[in-house]
Amino acid sequence: MTAGLQSEMIRSELEDVVGEHFISTRDTDRAIYATDWSWMAQMWLDRGEKLTLPDYIVHPGTVEEVSALLQIANSYRIPVIPFGGGSGTQGSALPLHGGIMLDTKRLDKILDIDEKSLKVTTQAGIINTQLEWALNEHGLTYPHYPASSNCATMAGFLAARGTGTISTKYGKAEDMVLSMQIVLPNGDIIRTPAVPNHSSGPDFGRIFLGAEGTMGVITEATMQIDYLPDVRLFRALLFDDLSKALEAGRRMMTRRLDPLVIRLYDEQSTRTRVREILGYEMEGAYMVIGFDGYEDIATLQEQKALEICADLGAKDLGREPGEAWWEHRYDFYYPPKNLKLPWMYGTTETVTTFDKIETLYHAKKAAVEDNYGDWDVSYIGHFSHWYHWGVSLYDRFVIKDPPEDAQECIRLHNRIWSTAVKASLANGGMINDHHGVGIKLGRFTREQYGSAWPLLQDLKRTIDPKGIMNPGKLGFGY
Amino acid sequence: MDTIAELTLANANATADNCRYCLMCRHVCPVGHVTKVETLTPHGWGLIIASERRGMLEWNEENAEIMYQCADCGTCRANCVTDQPFPDTVARVREELVGLGLAPKGAQDAADRLRKWGNPYEEKAPEAVSGTGDVALFVGDEAAYVRPVGLAAAKTLLEAAGINVVTVGVGRSNGYIASSLGYREVAEEIARANLADILATGAKRVIVLSPGDQYAFTTLYPDRLGVEWPSDVEVVELVSVLAADDSLSFSQGDADSTYTYVDPTHAVRLPDRHDAPRALASRVLGGEAKELFWRKERAHPVGNSALQFSQPEIADKLTWARLEDAKNVGADLIVTEDAGTLAQLDTHASRFGVEVRGLYELLAASLDR
Repeated sequence: MTAGLQSEMIRSELEDVVGEHFISTRDTDRAIYATDWSWMAQMWLDRGEKLTLPDYIVHPGTVEEVSALLQIANSYRIPVIPFGGGSGTQGSALPLHGGIMLDTKRLDKILDIDEKSLKVTTQAGIINTQLEWALNEHGLTYPHYPASSNCATMAGFLAARGTGTISTKYGKAEDMVLSMQIVLPNGDIIRTPAVPNHSSGPDFGRIFLGAEGTMGVITEATMQIDYLPDVRLFRALLFDDLSKALEAGRRMMTRRLDPLVIRLYDEQSTRTRVREILGYEMEGAYMVIGFDGYEDIATLQEQKALEICADLGAKDLGREPGEAWWEHRYDFYYPPKNLKLPWMYGTTETVTTFDKIETLYHAKKAAVEDNYGDWDVSYIGHFSHWYHWGVSLYDRFVIKDPPEDAQECIRLHNRIWSTAVKASLANGGMINDHHGVGIKLGRFTREQYGSAWPLLQDLKRTIDPKGIMNPGKLGFGY
Repeated sequence: MDTIAELTLANANATADNCRYCLMCRHVCPVGHVTKVETLTPHGWGLIIASERRGMLEWNEENAEIMYQCADCGTCRANCVTDQPFPDTVARVREELVGLGLAPKGAQDAADRLRKWGNPYEEKAPEAVSGTGDVALFVGDEAAYVRPVGLAAAKTLLEAAGINVVTVGVGRSNGYIASSLGYREVAEEIARANLADILATGAKRVIVLSPGDQYAFTTLYPDRLGVEWPSDVEVVELVSVLAADDSLSFSQGDADSTYTYVDPTHAVRLPDRHDAPRALASRVLGGEAKELFWRKERAHPVGNSALQFSQPEIADKLTWARLEDAKNVGADLIVTEDAGTLAQLDTHASRFGVEVRGLYELLAASLDR
């Protein structure tokens, strides 16, 4: 985006802010920071194609440095891409227009642990597992356990409205946040109120949740935490009918049994992923349920849940397969067990209310399988994040022998995504539940928000009039 | 039949492909932790290797330098659900870089000394083996040259335990540094010399002074160098021997200090070894050690890996991080037993206001005779 002398002049200005050790324009660093965990970027590289590189990688160590960097970027209208763990699947951290890659991982301090109010204040770039280990030493937990825990950062969770494996009880990252410090594109450092629940005007902080760095840089967050539970009880069940399993989950949620997890695999996932990772050969819909906290209360909640499942004809498989799932819940993401290149795959997950979820699932499955049968597409899904009013469908498509040509491959990928997302929208689903929008879903935000979309665009223009923040994401363009 | 080198190359390429887009060990990579740079993590290094294999980049001084910034400490592998041998992959790639003349100057200099003297510290040949016995004590180069006082203490402890040993490998590396720097032929020569010395003693039990030696003999030799360790020769760490010996008694010193135990470099590669040194420390210092944040299965190394020669700045950062860790848990005394780890910690300890003491020295000084 910049070249020659001008590029060097800007580099020096950035270096004045962070110091010579915390800026890089090395080719190798630029190449590494050009990609993230999205299939598109990985496939593109895998096929020998080149990605757009960032011009500068900076590693600020203070919020003041972040502010100064954004002021420089704003002056010269240089794109800024906040980078945490790079574990996003939607291409949100890709530097589509070059610019400044702002790696937040030096901002990794735990600033305060409040054991009375049960809250923790951290800087943006702390890696989740490291935070969890630190809290565990106090008998506490930050109950946000995504598969990306080992690499993703606090601000990344908030920027993408991420979720974790026990969100059904503890909520998504956005539900746990009490307050945030944010640096706006003009360099202003602001804070949201200290508590989220009040009647003191609109909750403007929410605009930064899910904004994926398009509105500013989250530099600090105060999060709700919990005591480590006395017990965590897991159990597995097998339903011969997905419909009955969904109804069991609905009853557990609407009766407020407070499970920390209800993990329900569809028949195809039960046959494939559950067998591959956990080693169980089963036909039907495999469900893991979990309850935690005081032992007597968790036991009673579990008993009530089992009664619901028994009424719906479920077979109780006992504790061992439930505990095995908990123990190995992240194994699904380690190579070579994970979905991996050269396969084509995508997680087209969505969320909707209980009255629509079953119809939506069957519509998506049919749309993907019917339209892409020639590619021997496999459609698998599980229902993993449950709410009082509905549930997310974590569905994926897999093609094990995709086109070799990168462009042909990405076009097919996009067509399948379009089919899946349109099926979600047509059946009352959101374009996404917790992976975010990035570049993958940017083309659907107009349809998702309809007449409200211009309002979002106006907000973006007001906060970031020069459009420097993570351009090309969320459908905002550049 | 594929040669070992061909198999190793195939394994290295497969591992790089597995790791290039995997971020699941980022939280434990010590170099990633002290630098905060994405490139300097297994994902970054893996992507560089995979990109070179696909013709997306060519090896040059810049990316060679980066490939030499991995600590080869084993923390990633120890925390990998699918046990990807990423450190071996890095070592294998460094062999290629050596062949291309792209190894950093510090690596070349260290390799020259290893080739000539069998160690990178002193211009002195290893001592010849004299004598035979059932039990051998492998001394190595760090215990011989960078902290000989620890070696003397270790011998005192063995004598107190009634274990007669014949010393071997006095002043010779265990081969890890040469392997880690990408000088496989040097590492293999050292490994074969060590093995020959041990076999010459007739010993069926080899006591080693550090987890690095144990890892080298039992894992690195066969996996990286094609040198099979004889199945009838047991390798055991001195801390394990001492911890299991009820006949030794120690007087407890003053409990004035708040102490911590630093798991030595490579400890993470031996998941069953964490309790023994802690138990020994407790016998002379009383109570339990304050545990570092980076401990046991997630223990980070200090700078006595090959980084001390090829990337001394990063080596220092790793050592400072351990000292900072000790400070953060409120310790004013650090205890550990590995000579190389102790030497690195000792060099920088005063800056952090902590004292460093060797576990073997402490134990020997506290022996009830």
